[in-house]
Amino acid sequence: MTTSSPAARPRIDWTRPVLWLFAAVLVLLILLPLSWLAVYAFTDKNRHPTLANFVTLFSNPDFLDPLLTTAIIATTSALICCIVAAPISWLVSRTDMPGRQTIRALVTASFVTPPFLGAVAWELLAAPNSGLLNQLYRLFAGEDADALFNIYSMTGIIFVISCYTFPFVFVLVANALDTMPGELEDASAILGGNAWTTARRVTIPLALPALVAGALIAFLQAMTLFGSPAILALPAGFHTMTTKIWSLFQYPPKLELAAAAAVPLLVLTILLLQGQKALLGRRGYSVIGGKYGAPRRVELRGWRWAALGFCLLVLLNPVFLPYLALLNAAFSPNATTLVTPSTATLHNIVFVFTELSSTQLALKNTVILGTATATIGTILALVIAYVTTRKVIAGHRVLGFLATAPVAVPGIVLGVGLFLSYTRPPFVLYGTLWILLLAFLTINLPSAYQQLQAAFTTIHPELEEASRILGATRLQALRQITAPLLRTGLIATWCFIFIGVMRELSAAIVLFTSQTKVLSVLIYDLNEGGDLAAIAVLGIAMLVITFAVVLAVNQIPMSGGNAGARLRNG
Amino acid sequence: MASVELHSLVKRFGSFVAVDDVSLKIDHGQLVCLLGPSGCGKTTTLRLIAGFLEPSDGEIRVGDRVVSSKSRTLPPEQRNMSMIFQSYALWPHMTVAENIVYGLRLRKMDRDSIAKKLAAILATTKLEPLAQRYPGELSGGQQQRVALARALIVGPETLLLDEPLSNLDANLREEMRFEIRRLHDEYRYTTVYVTHDQSEAMTTADLIAVMNAGKIDQLGAPEDIYARPESEFVARFIGAANVIKGTARDATHVEFAGTTLEVVGARLTAGQSAPVAIRQHEIQLSTHVPTAAPNTLKAVVTRQVYLGMNRDYMVETSDGTSLRVTTPTETAVEKGSEVWLTLPPERCRALSR
Repeated sequence: MTTSSPAARPRIDWTRPVLWLFAAVLVLLILLPLSWLAVYAFTDKNRHPTLANFVTLFSNPDFLDPLLTTAIIATTSALICCIVAAPISWLVSRTDMPGRQTIRALVTASFVTPPFLGAVAWELLAAPNSGLLNQLYRLFAGEDADALFNIYSMTGIIFVISCYTFPFVFVLVANALDTMPGELEDASAILGGNAWTTARRVTIPLALPALVAGALIAFLQAMTLFGSPAILALPAGFHTMTTKIWSLFQYPPKLELAAAAAVPLLVLTILLLQGQKALLGRRGYSVIGGKYGAPRRVELRGWRWAALGFCLLVLLNPVFLPYLALLNAAFSPNATTLVTPSTATLHNIVFVFTELSSTQLALKNTVILGTATATIGTILALVIAYVTTRKVIAGHRVLGFLATAPVAVPGIVLGVGLFLSYTRPPFVLYGTLWILLLAFLTINLPSAYQQLQAAFTTIHPELEEASRILGATRLQALRQITAPLLRTGLIATWCFIFIGVMRELSAAIVLFTSQTKVLSVLIYDLNEGGDLAAIAVLGIAMLVITFAVVLAVNQIPMSGGNAGARLRNG
Repeated sequence: MASVELHSLVKRFGSFVAVDDVSLKIDHGQLVCLLGPSGCGKTTTLRLIAGFLEPSDGEIRVGDRVVSSKSRTLPPEQRNMSMIFQSYALWPHMTVAENIVYGLRLRKMDRDSIAKKLAAILATTKLEPLAQRYPGELSGGQQQRVALARALIVGPETLLLDEPLSNLDANLREEMRFEIRRLHDEYRYTTVYVTHDQSEAMTTADLIAVMNAGKIDQLGAPEDIYARPESEFVARFIGAANVIKGTARDATHVEFAGTTLEVVGARLTAGQSAPVAIRQHEIQLSTHVPTAAPNTLKAVVTRQVYLGMNRDYMVETSDGTSLRVTTPTETAVEKGSEVWLTLPPERCRALSR
């Protein structure tokens, strides 16, 4: 039983040069835009160092007001998100409420709804004059009654942002409650604690870090969102930080101020993420040791249906009402008239896909960018995840850090950084799809990397080593052993990046030109033009694709149930 | 086929020295066990031999070819070795048969030869009925046999085993020990076997290298290691011997707890402290003064447990040393009683370290 060694003479190991190349790409992707951002923020038009930009930023009411507005919006939304999400996640995770899976699915639905689409839908529902809800109100209160709701207001913005931000809190808290071992509660019960005491002394303290972390994330989302405030605040005549940054790009552009205004967003994001990490990572709160059974569910008895009613009532706002409004607008001759069987029309759909000239271009661009970003991003994330989990080269930790760093860069900040980096030689990418590709790659890299890293850690390194010792080279082992085992994870990652690209608005809005419009930008443009029916059609198409992908991915084993959690809102 | 030689092998991880100047020659066809507690460097040594790690210093030769040195390390795939992993590392997306023939496919062997070899190894490892199953559908013992078959079918020059039995339950472990030895005798590979279980090492190995803190503490045949330990570490690790700390009176006598013990083993220097090892079942325990026996001393029983096959005593000598003694079940002595211990001189081994 003797066979000759499979490779007689040593070959050059290409692994390392390739890996260093990937490291260089990462550095370029993340450090270059941030460096230019810093340069512009701290210099004047002639690139002389100055702090004047920040002085303007913190003394001129034009900038102070948006700063204050943003702070109010973010704080209030975060609070509302917690108040709404905490009871729902407890009901879904720890009680015998009927329809728990349905509620989870509906929360996921509001999770994957692009926030700017939700904002447009709420325009349809609650614009002061034409809003469907206000029309309904006037049926009872009389034609001349004042509007019941005005979505173009601070309250309106806070409401809409909360609708599409509370899932972040829900996912974190529900996850904490799901994984909390039932024995911890049983131990309290056996020592004499009644249900309320147990909840107060054990369950709530254990879930609290997740809730606070969720609040931080909600704050972050509300702070860095561009779509919703742009759609709702600009008509109301005020700015948030993100819309202000965007307006600085309008003619005449004030790039230095835009860069400076992006800095507080960046710094706050980094601080909040650090806070979240510290909260969730604290040793004392992580559940430790042993094997645990499934948690016991609290019996709600007579309150079961009331609880379900509460959940459905809450979900009316992010899901049912907006979706109905969109469907109505898509099939109605007039976006803000209730459709009846006799007035139902396919005209909007035909118009959007055949007559609206920019649709074709935007669709083409979105598909090209989605496919390219998903493919390149998956490969990039795959290689980095491989390097960091298998510790192939020295400095693999730096690579892992770089791959997750973009999490801390809000979309609009990245947009500004990329704009500054790629409008000058040697890289003049502005006006091409390349700059959007870079933006989308950077934005989607962290979640893709984390997903693939998790997939890699489930594959025991000995599986690859077994193949090496039997005669496979590193690349053969990757192709024949690792790749097939990772297949489902790779498909899921690809799909999520694709969806992420489709819904991205806040970076695209500063980077697009007329020839590089994408679907999300088109929807934003159509909103400015008041073409709500076309938005409804495009939005529904977008949602259908998103749901199809999320459902398909959830069917694949390995890529867990709360797949929506990995999406990032633009 | 060839011998495997480690020359002053060193492996550092940062400032931690995992393998510290290890030299070992494994003759062709020999089965050597690296035995030691976790963290002693045995698995690192094995992974150095496999080529998964590069040495910080020293070299590894297979036959007359240097496969690992500080400057150049042949990748694992070019070493013509096979390895059995602690986790078995069976590929879950391939059937048993596909797992087994993987190495042959890499060697571009023709279809007929592969089929022939596969049939032979399936028969040897009693896996014929399971060839088309997936690893997830097999029991632990069956997975273990697939891992063996996969490693053996390529006819490696060297076979490496990394705690191959640690995931099996006790009965199966005993059975597989003999199976591994039987297959080794049949094919005669040069084999390196890593384990922390001394009885596993005893049944399988030609030579045992007991490792401690990155060094080989003692190298010898199983009988040498068990009957003639040289260091306190080996005496304690193999068969949990009592080690008493006395003072040497001359080359073969030790002062301990008011008596003089005659000992064998390491040559002693008068006046130096002298550790002496004696196994618990070699100490004789009696309730009256033994007549005319050398090496007797008085002790008090501090604990007595009935174990079914025998009794397990803990006794304390006059200087406060606790010794463990195993006796037949008939000798029942109450806790607190005075007893006399006889330590047969030929069983008292003076240790050099």
